[in-house]
Amino acid sequence: MILSPILSLLAVLGLAPLLPGIANRIKSALTGRRGAPVLQLYWDLAKLWRKGVVYSSTTTVIFRLAPVVLAASTVLAASLLPLDGRRALLSFPGDLVAFAGLLGLGRFLLVLAALDTGSSFEGMGASREVTVATFAEPALFLCFTVLVIATGDLRLEGMLGRPLVAAWPLAAPSLVLAAASLFIVLLAETARVPVDDPLTHLELTMIHEVMVLDHSGPDLALILYAGSVKLALFGSLVVGVLVPRGQLAAPLALGVLVAGLVAIAVLVGIVESVMARLRMNRVPQLLVAATALAGFGLTLLLA
Amino acid sequence: MRPVHELLLLLVVLTNFWVLGTTRLSATIRAVAIQGVLLAALPLALHPGISAHRLGLAAGTLVVKAVVLPAFLVRAIREAAVRREIEPLIGFSASMLLGAGAVALGFSIAPRLPLPELDTRTLVPVALSTVIIGLLVLTTRSKAVTQVVGYLILENGIYVFGLSQAERVPFLVEVGVLLDIFVGVFIMGIVVFHINREFDSLDSARLTELRD
Amino acid sequence: MTLVAVGLALILLAGLGAFALERQPRRADQVFRYGVLAGSGAAAWPAVVLLLRGARSSGVAERLPGGAYGLDLLSAWFLALLLGVGACAAVYGIPYLVEERRHRRVGVAHLLLAVLLTALAGVFTARTIIAFLAAWEVMAVAAYLLVVFERERAEARRAGLIYLVLTHASTLALLAMFATWSGGGVESRFEDLAGGRAGTAAPASAILVLALIGFGIKAGVVPAHFWLPGAHAAAPSHISALLSGVMIKTGIYGLLRVLTLLGPPPPWWGWTVLLLGLASAVLGVLWALAQHDLKRVLAYSSVENIGIILVGLGLGALGAAYHEPALALLGFTGALLHTLNHALFKSLLFLGAGAVVRATGTRELDRLGGLGRLMPRTAAAFLVGALAIAGLPPLNGFVSEWLIFRGLLEAGGAEAASLRAASAAAAGLALTGALALACFTKLHGTVFLGKPRERFAIVSGAPDAGLTAPQRFLASACVVIGVLPPVVVPAAAGAARVVIPDAGTAGDLGGAAGAAARVTLVALSLAVLVALVWRIRLLDGGRPAARVRETWACAYPGVTSRMQYMASSFAASLLAAFGPLSGRRVVAGPGSFEVHAADPVLDTAGRFLWDRLQRGAARARLLQTGRLRWYLVYLILSLLGLLGYLWTAT
Repeated sequence: MILSPILSLLAVLGLAPLLPGIANRIKSALTGRRGAPVLQLYWDLAKLWRKGVVYSSTTTVIFRLAPVVLAASTVLAASLLPLDGRRALLSFPGDLVAFAGLLGLGRFLLVLAALDTGSSFEGMGASREVTVATFAEPALFLCFTVLVIATGDLRLEGMLGRPLVAAWPLAAPSLVLAAASLFIVLLAETARVPVDDPLTHLELTMIHEVMVLDHSGPDLALILYAGSVKLALFGSLVVGVLVPRGQLAAPLALGVLVAGLVAIAVLVGIVESVMARLRMNRVPQLLVAATALAGFGLTLLLA
Repeated sequence: MRPVHELLLLLVVLTNFWVLGTTRLSATIRAVAIQGVLLAALPLALHPGISAHRLGLAAGTLVVKAVVLPAFLVRAIREAAVRREIEPLIGFSASMLLGAGAVALGFSIAPRLPLPELDTRTLVPVALSTVIIGLLVLTTRSKAVTQVVGYLILENGIYVFGLSQAERVPFLVEVGVLLDIFVGVFIMGIVVFHINREFDSLDSARLTELRD
Repeated sequence: MTLVAVGLALILLAGLGAFALERQPRRADQVFRYGVLAGSGAAAWPAVVLLLRGARSSGVAERLPGGAYGLDLLSAWFLALLLGVGACAAVYGIPYLVEERRHRRVGVAHLLLAVLLTALAGVFTARTIIAFLAAWEVMAVAAYLLVVFERERAEARRAGLIYLVLTHASTLALLAMFATWSGGGVESRFEDLAGGRAGTAAPASAILVLALIGFGIKAGVVPAHFWLPGAHAAAPSHISALLSGVMIKTGIYGLLRVLTLLGPPPPWWGWTVLLLGLASAVLGVLWALAQHDLKRVLAYSSVENIGIILVGLGLGALGAAYHEPALALLGFTGALLHTLNHALFKSLLFLGAGAVVRATGTRELDRLGGLGRLMPRTAAAFLVGALAIAGLPPLNGFVSEWLIFRGLLEAGGAEAASLRAASAAAAGLALTGALALACFTKLHGTVFLGKPRERFAIVSGAPDAGLTAPQRFLASACVVIGVLPPVVVPAAAGAARVVIPDAGTAGDLGGAAGAAARVTLVALSLAVLVALVWRIRLLDGGRPAARVRETWACAYPGVTSRMQYMASSFAASLLAAFGPLSGRRVVAGPGSFEVHAADPVLDTAGRFLWDRLQRGAARARLLQTGRLRWYLVYLILSLLGLLGYLWTAT
């Protein structure tokens, strides 16, 4: 019984680096370029892993610890999600708080690592990162609240599992609103357009990337990998809400999830090619809109 | 699954949020035009079967709210050469949260109103929240065009409310659509006088200057 | 309870000893250190035993002869956390105040600390009105004297004055509350107040409102928080730890005690507390983020944490009001556990801040930086505290916030439709958590990381054990509770059951105790995973050795340490999104740029009201003519007025 969550977790962790590749490929295709191979992130990770590291003389142990904790906590957060549609590796009432907390832990240390370098660019990136994250958090929790009330279950594996199947006919509008809100949160949390542009080359306009400017070699590989897992995590949330898979057999449910994740990546790519990134001070507004959407969903449920 | 009219009402609320959240005047006009389409579809979706009366109402609403007035407004922003709303007194984020609050308020007080039983629980709350959001836009935004849009939203709220009472008060809705002529006059004013900012002469603060 | 009394007497004696032996500093320090340690140990023992044994009844387990003071589980919970934090603060205070010896009599501070500890213990264990109020006033006055300990600083005197005014307002409200409750008799025991057995059956709502005012001021609830940042920042750091960690919790204790005696409150009270808690949490941490002063950040964050506790308390009250005992238990347990957790990590952070202030002589964040290399132990302990206060796993702040979140979400499935709306508060709590993350990355990052912005003459090397040992103890407590919540959650639930006795059947907190074991699992998995990734990361895949270079500055050569992101610039974009609510004021002129952190309540609303008051007072000055004749006229007039009142009254 425990085998299926483990296998699903491994599958998602293994396929995660594919998602940014797909998104970028779609973006290239829509703008008339050929673009990098879909597997580019795998090559990047392999190359970075072999490379040497350069540490800034200003940094302390926090700088080295941060990528490790980030990767570990992101992977652990993945184990809280019911990736095979039914069961999560780790589950308990209120585990959604742990989910958010683990992602927060990684962010906390990454921000500290940025400040550890004493670089003004990284300080700027860190400042922007916490700004974006601050406004994403209420939206995320309101979506969770919608799910909890719709399913009556406080465990992520229930909120996205079998009880959700039963909840859909009763709470469809709220769930769609929550999914839309979660998608905006996804764009913000994974540093995609219109919040952040992963392909920009000017430090002053970056958010996430400029924050990890000084990381190199395997450290950078860990950070990039954790970023792709995070995309898979939030993608799984969106897919999990929109396509309840509690009644499917585990392999099928996993297959649906992977297909859904690919669709999310395509969607991210499309959003990136049709939208410009927002001005920095408009980003909170977008996330407030996500909060309002989820809040509207909650209102519909409570009414 | 849910009936169609619930979906329409949901989309009406979303268009309200859209107006609250966007800075671009053309986007607010597009939002209010879409709202007009939704409202036109509403009488048809609300009751099964098709009658000439309801078809007429839908067609009239569609023409006035979704085509004519938005077209006027587009003309108005071209004439007055305004594109964007300036940062209002109550910011976009705050007004969006207030809008969400208005929706919550609508849903919480609607069941307590002494209204006859309806077969839907969404109509009155959406009407109430639309009226509040319309007032919000009307009072907090500074461009004349946005204020007209706010007035339109306010009126759309009244229209939805009228639909809920259509059984009891005949022609309430139809009279409401006539109010739109008033809006047309508004917009003509903007076009003719190139009004860009708020209607200064309506500034109630200046009333305090009146004294013997 | 006798042991508690003996322990407290020992603490007082130690304080007196330190005061009397001022001429022999070494001996005074020894007496105080060991006296306080022994006294706290002795006094905490019965409380801890009671909590761990989990008394079967909610009644008073032990009493002093005469019955003025007694110990039940609720008292025991607060007493235990008081003595734990108090002992740390006292031990830390000894080396911390050594340099002060040149300026003033340090023994006074030690004595006052002992008095404050005893008074706080009295507040937590009092069983009659008079005993409670007496302890309350001693506490207030001792705290005032400690706030103005460095009395040559105008800032300290001003903060002390504001504190004194507010604490008296609080006492006044409490006097009024007890007076309405007991019908005037201050001799009443708490038991007599319970269930309306007192002289008059006063309306419960009046009592509840007065309790909220009195205890709310003491706890530092927005909008009555504004005395707190100044007072807690001005006091010596170990005193700040005690004030922020424990003294403001007397407000929480008081509210819980009132609920214990009064029974389930009406729903409106629960909603009020919940909303006040949300406002305090969000605004407190927002204003904390805006501060530039190390200790003021921590003080404002106490407002935030009081808010989080009140959210739990309000939820508990709502659960009680709507007859959902399981919900009530979750709320109260979360509130109590967060009270303990906040006491631990906030005092830890204040002690760390004290070490920084001692080493550098400044509290200004924009002058600090890069201290991690010079003070690694303090930096490590401070990091634990920062992670804990941000509510992140695997530390203790996460456990209590998780309980409160759970309660809020479970309210979403409540029977009563109106109670379900409480679940929306989860979004507010989430915003608080995210802001706390921003606030404490800023604090740790700008104080301990990066390059030093100024050179300070810091003696590196092993610091005094008296400074580091308490920090180490508190940090380990944070870790232990975070990793092993099953150790403390049942004790907190036991204390919560005093408030809501009819939750007896909801024995396992709706599965929270079992789920708490899962939190342990998460913490352990995290540790294992981190170790594993770290190990893999260290694998030498034939890669070149690590090199050490300057920080990459995007090819700009002339970088200095003054160009780093400062505390105020780090917070700027986040604060800007909140507009004037954040209290951030920018004064920019040609060639100058200043950022100020105003308190919107004190500096805007407070100033406005004060101006109004002054103008009114100026008008009243017309009466002050300076002529005796007129004063006699006033006398006669008031006499006539009184006589007239008597005449109409009879």
